[in-house]
Amino acid sequence: MTTRTASRPIEATMTDPSLGLPTITMAVPMPGFPAHREFVLVRLNDEGLLFALTSVDNPELRFLVAPPEPFFPEYAPEIENQVFAALNTKDPDRLLLLTVITAGTEETTANLLAPIVVDRDSMRAMQVVLSGSGYPVRAIMNRKF
Amino acid sequence: MLVLTRRAGESVMIGDDVVITVLEARGDVIRLGIQAPRDVQVHREEVYRELQDANREAASPTEDAVHALTRMLEKSDPDE
Repeated sequence: MTTRTASRPIEATMTDPSLGLPTITMAVPMPGFPAHREFVLVRLNDEGLLFALTSVDNPELRFLVAPPEPFFPEYAPEIENQVFAALNTKDPDRLLLLTVITAGTEETTANLLAPIVVDRDSMRAMQVVLSGSGYPVRAIMNRKF
Repeated sequence: MLVLTRRAGESVMIGDDVVITVLEARGDVIRLGIQAPRDVQVHREEVYRELQDANREAASPTEDAVHALTRMLEKSDPDE
């Protein structure tokens, strides 16, 4: 069984009181970065369209992430139950999707094949590969809003 | 590399909790079933490599690239 998720504002996420920023724990490390488990989410844009996911272990490592909905309105991936289990998700509606952005001065792309799925209650996250979905790893980001 | 011969229905254990079972061998295609703990991700190698490459490319963008992207987002502000 699979469940559809909706992108939601990140404002309502839990914050780490000591940092004042949401702290996200990777239940499974991101491919290529096995040593980085803890990240803080920093807002880079007033409208909440762009965030930096910065490693607590090494602040020089950061990823740009964005809620996919404003850029890719048709994007509605199905998340498998085993992802809910790995994230200790009790309510699928509490899942938040973030797409990883590769920013270039010429072209910027978003990884739609492997979004980061965050459980907003546990603040556990993992990068989920949507095998067989046909979503691209490098989707050109357009201004559709 | 450890090389093993297995028949359909037989399995291989990796560590204490990963079980790989040969489900079917037909011609040059072999179907495998993999049981692993929740925090062990199982991917086709080529998919994993592609994702690893994409993540490394996305990691720690230059300030110029971040500025270019923030400008693009500002320009597209519907209130402007």
